[in-house]
Order: sequence, then structure tokens, then C-alpha cells
Amino acid sequence: MPRQKIVIDPVTRIEGHSKISIHLDDHGRVEEAFFHVTQFRGFEKFCEGRPFTEMPSLMARICGICPVSHLIASAKACDAILAVRIPPNAARLRRIMNLAQIVQSHALSFFHLSSPDFLLGMDSDPAKRNIFGVAEAHPGMARDGVRLRQFGQQTIERLGGKRVHPAWVVAGGVGEALSAPTRDAILAGIPDAMAIAMRTLDWFKNEMERFREEIRTFANFPTLFMALVAPDGGLDFYDGKLRFLDAGGHVVADGISADTYAQNVGEMVHPWTYLKTTYYKPLGYPDGIYRVGPLARLNVIDGCHMPRAGQEWAEFRELDRGAVLSSFYYHYARLIEIVFSLESMEQLLGSPDVLDPNVRAHASANNSEGVGVSEAPRGTLVHHYKVDGDGLITWANLIIATGHNNAAMNRGVLQVARHFVHGSRLNEGMLNRVEAVIRAFDPCLSCSTHAGGRMAMDVELRSSGGELLDALHR
Amino acid sequence: MLRVLIIGYGNPLRGDDGFGWQAATRLQRLIADPEVGVMAVQQLTPELMEPVSRAGRVVFIDAASAGEPGVLREEIVAADPETGRFTHHSTPGGLLAGAAALFGRAPEATLYSAPGQDFGFAERLTPSVEKALGEVVARVRAGL
Repeated sequence: MPRQKIVIDPVTRIEGHSKISIHLDDHGRVEEAFFHVTQFRGFEKFCEGRPFTEMPSLMARICGICPVSHLIASAKACDAILAVRIPPNAARLRRIMNLAQIVQSHALSFFHLSSPDFLLGMDSDPAKRNIFGVAEAHPGMARDGVRLRQFGQQTIERLGGKRVHPAWVVAGGVGEALSAPTRDAILAGIPDAMAIAMRTLDWFKNEMERFREEIRTFANFPTLFMALVAPDGGLDFYDGKLRFLDAGGHVVADGISADTYAQNVGEMVHPWTYLKTTYYKPLGYPDGIYRVGPLARLNVIDGCHMPRAGQEWAEFRELDRGAVLSSFYYHYARLIEIVFSLESMEQLLGSPDVLDPNVRAHASANNSEGVGVSEAPRGTLVHHYKVDGDGLITWANLIIATGHNNAAMNRGVLQVARHFVHGSRLNEGMLNRVEAVIRAFDPCLSCSTHAGGRMAMDVELRSSGGELLDALHR
Repeated sequence: MLRVLIIGYGNPLRGDDGFGWQAATRLQRLIADPEVGVMAVQQLTPELMEPVSRAGRVVFIDAASAGEPGVLREEIVAADPETGRFTHHSTPGGLLAGAAALFGRAPEATLYSAPGQDFGFAERLTPSVEKALGEVVARVRAGL
């Protein structure tokens, strides 16, 4: 049997453009697989020459799903350039918006993108494998997804004036203090959101047994994990120090401050993709491959210091003796993080100082360089800027969560393809699982890899001589 | 419950695509009736299904990509799940279908749209679409 190549192209339409290629050996067995990101954005380059104070608003345009994450990391980098310690209430309000972002983005990932796989099945009709298919079969679940995301989006809008690309987070703090009516309106929505999160988490835990094969094969291999950790060892999306953990659950490096990230995180490029790959520098590539995001965060922390989320975290960590390795559990971790976010928001909004009007520090550029690190829904986000004497950007480096996860996603595609793809035939369920392993990481690309269950996708199986052996289109 | 919910949508940074968004922001300044809600959004997102289901009537305002620039069109919108296979954005018909499926009700809805001429990077409308902006604001207000 001649060598063959399966190409899934495009995997995505809007938020990102990518394709997957699967190479088969002479016996029709999967030999290699690649996840290619085929678009180029150029944000690091075209921001050069702009005043650094413009960076939060400019960088927020990187993404329409998680603009708040870029606002936060960018503003923190600008805080470092200003050399200010922002007012405590500014940090508190930024945290609340970041938590709302986690809730809405995780809700989008779980309910809109991935729940059709869980509820309708990986092998179900792709014409029905979408939110309307879910609405028909499980209307309560679909309604919960809409309401939970609505809560997160409304909270962002209440704080920042609009749902997408709010300009409220600025260098030195936030643009406006919180009012009592806004605080009360957000608080009023938390019980309903929490009820949704808890019943979804309970449901998912009961359903996981049905996905044993996916759990076993969805990027389930040893890697390092990286995330921010709070000073008390707890989960923190806004601040803290970076920690690396190995697959056995041992801390490899700890207490890494934002401004020393480059000593620990190596960056490289591969010729087949525009998405750069990162690795833990002391171990080099590929030994230093690590994962970020919900699974990594729950692996690296010592505890989840909220009543409900803490209990759920303890149960989660029982899944493995060391770190929890299967990327299928990203979905599970995502639900626990929603619970944590809602509990944290309630606690922060209950602070007697949350209405403090002192929410911004003013200064000129006092440092020529600044690094901001925060946890976005999909993982650790790094913004690093250099400025000249006039405060104009001369250099910028961004590391997005999807880049941290790039190497692991590639390995994950290979693992799933080896298990599910057989060179003699192609079918929808097989290809959906190849996509679903990427979806588990929730890269920005996943927004469009699951476009209503009818992702624009052409798959061709060709012989090494170019002969078309099999093809699927949807 | 709102008697009328007006949703204008589009990207105000992409020239005439901002038609619906600009119409909504103008209507927000002009309408003081508490029974009328006006939303200016960049795209139709799934969470809009819930407020849509609670409105007595919905008015959508959008730019169109085909047709004579600036010639305002008015059409009745029906629930259409086939156009609503969204992940994070939808269509008027898809939103109505979702509102009916998940929240039990899809109200009557009208879509006003004006074909655009320039969808490049700009924060202003072309003259013909600017003219349609005044027209749609007047027609929506007259229909309240």
C-alpha cells in the first residue's frame, strides 16, 4: 500500500485558519500528524511606534471572544512601564471583569462548542450536532448555556460599558469606579449562574464514564504544566507567580515572576505553521513541552480556596496520582473554574472597599520595558513591551495560550489519529474526534471548528502518486 | 416586558457595516420610552435569544452586502433554525428560532437593512448609506 496523506482543510473559518494533515505509512497506519495554523496576524509588529498607553485597547482587538484577557495582560505590562502599584480597588475590579470573562468564555466552549459532542455523541449526524440539536434533545442544557454566557457578558458590559472590546481597563487601573447599583445587579445574577454551573458539573461528572475511550486517547500523555499560582498556592487568574509541574505532580520550577518569563519559556517556530511553539527552556524542546489552561491550572495549584470549588478540585485531583494527564479533562476543569469564578466574584463584590473611587494611578513612562502576565480562559497570557524615551512602542512580544499548547495539540492530534483513523476508510466520527481533541484545548480556533456541526471541511485521502482514494466533504 | 426591542448591529470600524450600530446609537439618544429597549451590538450573539423572547416585537437594523447602496429595505423576519447554526454569532431568523426553542416564544420581528458601498476601514458611512441612516431612524420611530 503506498504512503498516503489525509488533509483536513480548512479546520476553521473565522477566529483562525488552520488545517490538519495526517500522514499514513506504507501499511495505512498513521505515521505523523500536524496541526497547521495558516494565518498571520502581525500584532507584535504593527503596534511598533504607537504610544504604550494605547496598547490595552489595541491588543484587545486580537480576539473578540477573550478581549478582556488581552486588556488585563496588556494593562499589567503598561503598569510595569509606568512603574506604579495600582490602587487595590483597581486590581479588585480588574479581577472581577477577568472572572466574568472566564465564565462567559468557558460557557461558550462547554455549552456551544463541545456539549453537542457530549449530548448527541461523537458519531452523531453532523447536521444535528450543534446548539439547535442540543436544544431539541436537551433544551434545559441549551438554555443553561445561553444564560450562563449571558451572565458573564452582561457583567463585562456592566463594568466596561460594552460586551466586546470594553476600554475600561487602562494603564494604571480602570477607567471608572463601580457604582452600588451595578454591584447589586451583578450580585443578583450570581445565584442563578451558580445553580447552572453546579448542575452542569454534576451532570458532566456522571457522564464521563461514557467517554472512557476519549479520556484514554485525547492528548493523554506526560508533559509539564504551567500556570500562575497565588501566594497562598491557590488558583489565581489575575496575578501570582508562574509554576511548572511535571507529569508526576512534582514542582519543577516555582515563584517565577513575570519579568523573568523569558528565562524559563523558550520560543521556536516550525515551518508548517504560523503559530509559534513554546517549551520549558531548561529542558529544551521537545522534553520541555508543557500545557496551559484549565487542566494545567488545576494541576499546578496546591488548593482551590473557595468552598464549592475547593471541594470539586479535591475530587478532580483524585483522577490521577500525579498530575491529571488526559486533555479530555479540560472540559471538567473548565466547569470547576466557572464555579470558582462565581464564588470569587461574590467574595470580591462583597468587599466593603469595592466602591472605593480611587481606581487609577497616573504616571509617565518610568521604565523602558514591562511584562504583564495573566491567566486567560485558555491559559497563561504574556504581553511584553519595550518603549523609547517618548513612550512609543519599539518592540513587543506576545505569547498566547494557544501557542503554549501548540506542541501538546500536535501530539494530541497524532495520538487521536493513531487510535481512530485507519487508512482504509474515512468517516465522520473519526474526523470529529480528530477535531475534538483540539476543541478540548479550546484554542481561539475552536470558535469556528465547530461551526454549527457543519464545519467547512474537505478531507481527501490520496496515494503518494496523487490518486484520490477517498474523500469527505461537509 | 419591553413593548419593542430594537437591535442595531454591525462593525462601526468597517465603514457602511456600521449602519445598524450607528442607527441604534442614534435611537438610544432619541428614545426615552421605558417600554422600548435599544441595543447597539457588533454581532448577534446567542445570549440575545433571551431578551428577544421577552420583547413584544423586535426590530433588527443591519447593513446588507448586496443591492443598490443606501436603498432601505424592510422585511418581516421569520424564525429560521437553519440560519442559526452559530457558535458565537447568529442571524435574526436564527435568534428567533433559538428564542422559541429555548425560551418558548419568538415575537414578531422586522428587519431594516441598507446595502453598503464601502466596507473598508472607516468610521463613517458613505453618503448614500448616511442618508438611509436618517431614513431608518425616522421610520423606526414612527413605527413605535
